[in-house]
Amino acid sequence: MEELAVMAQQADTGSSSGPLGVLEWLGSHFIGLFNASGKQFVSLVTGILPTLIVLLTAMYAITTFIGEQRVTRAVRWSARWWITRYTIMPILAVLMLTNPMAYSFGRFLPERHKPAFYDSAVSFVHPVTTFFPYANAGELFVWLGVANGVAQLGQSTVPLALRYFLVGIVVIFIRGVVTERITAFMIKRTGRTEVFADFDRQFEAAKGGAK
Amino acid sequence: MTETHTSRAVFVRAGEGGWGKGLLLRTDGKRDKVLSVTGGGIHPVAARIAELIGAEAVDGFRTSVPDDEVVAAVINCGGTARIGVYPRKGLPTVDVYPGAPGGPLAKFITEELFVSAVGVKEITEADSDAPAAGGTPPKVPPREERPSARDVAATVTGGQSTGFGRAFDSVSGVFVKFGSAVGSFVNTMLASGRQTVELTLTTILPFMAYVSLLLGIVNYTGIARGIANVLSPIASNPLGLVVISLVVSLPFLSPILGPGAAIAQVVGTLMGSQIAIGALPVQYALPTLFAINGQVGCDFIPVGLALGEAKPETVAVGTPAVLISRLITAPLAVIIAWGASFGL
Repeated sequence: MEELAVMAQQADTGSSSGPLGVLEWLGSHFIGLFNASGKQFVSLVTGILPTLIVLLTAMYAITTFIGEQRVTRAVRWSARWWITRYTIMPILAVLMLTNPMAYSFGRFLPERHKPAFYDSAVSFVHPVTTFFPYANAGELFVWLGVANGVAQLGQSTVPLALRYFLVGIVVIFIRGVVTERITAFMIKRTGRTEVFADFDRQFEAAKGGAK
Repeated sequence: MTETHTSRAVFVRAGEGGWGKGLLLRTDGKRDKVLSVTGGGIHPVAARIAELIGAEAVDGFRTSVPDDEVVAAVINCGGTARIGVYPRKGLPTVDVYPGAPGGPLAKFITEELFVSAVGVKEITEADSDAPAAGGTPPKVPPREERPSARDVAATVTGGQSTGFGRAFDSVSGVFVKFGSAVGSFVNTMLASGRQTVELTLTTILPFMAYVSLLLGIVNYTGIARGIANVLSPIASNPLGLVVISLVVSLPFLSPILGPGAAIAQVVGTLMGSQIAIGALPVQYALPTLFAINGQVGCDFIPVGLALGEAKPETVAVGTPAVLISRLITAPLAVIIAWGASFGL
């Protein structure tokens, strides 16, 4: 590969001309393109992957040790108040069940709050990847892509990660509250007030039954 | 057309580059709906399956259907979330994209339940006397029903007294307990490692390979400079970032931009490379992260709500509510992030 790269550079200076020169140009740039891509790949694999693998392993183990039942209790508790419903509840859900199973915690909420909880939880799946990448490892590059650029400037990405995480919490809270209002408006506008009042009664009855 | 609709079956095979042996689908007494979870109406594949087996095609973005009425779900997912949700529920899943098992739910995506890269021409009528694919989906116990490490440990330690006396029993009991605790600890760690490596191989490394090729092309050909010229003026002031967030959260665009966060990931990587070469100032990294993110999960609203056991009426009001809410909260998020970015 190194030889090919050297060849590519030599060819770049353009020793031949005519049709052969065109072919040489094509050949050198063809392989040069993939050399450049290969270098990117190696830097991603050696730069990010080792830490990520051990971090993911540790976090999977911790979530298994804590156990789903304990988390379910905490989530139920946080579902009661509107401030915790769009902060603690989605954070716990995403951290413990990860994307996409986190949204199943919506079942602890009355129907009228489910869309807002979903909006809040799903908006946290990218800020969460800064310190807890296991929670949404498939979509790491939303954060890593930008963070890599900052790292290449020789700056620490920790202050950025911290702010992304904290502003993320503020944003999911706002999203939850706004979506809750819009859902209420949509219920009224589409003439489903009665239907949802009925859902609320069912929810209360089910809660009473559970106790 | 005198034959009864309930006995007709279709065979759906994998298309070019697709995965899976193929599915045999048919309606039976209760299962009579084909769920189209593709955004933007009923997908032709869902319509064709429904037409051939005499089922009803239902737009999963407008309404939700109880799982036990669904013959099959038609999805368009390259491979993170939606791809695994329906197989996990035991529902046959037809992916119109060439997806393969991947993402956190990869272990539920089996040949019995999943087929991908399906176009209309991959759907053929099948003999009606063959068994229905949706009839007996393999049972996958949810996580909470699988034995926990503690239960397993309990079965190991739960031996009866062997008559060597109480002292010996209590001493050996301690050893057995200790041993099984160590065993369950090691096993949990090992399982976590296995889960990590699996995720790395099926999801993270493929994405790295793809991003590397993309970045290689973009950098080597000089497209990067072109993108820098276009993006820098837009992204290097807060107002431009607000505009980006508004565009990605437009209700008719956001469900399309969502799947697998693919677009956000690629744009994030490109923006990162612009920051690296100094075309974008570092303090815009934070608002940029929120600007490219306004559409997060917009492709997944009905599925996410269904996971929370939402009723059809909730999906009907919830989907537009979330989409409209984004138009307000996405630009707001950028402004908040911009305010929080000073001093970076």
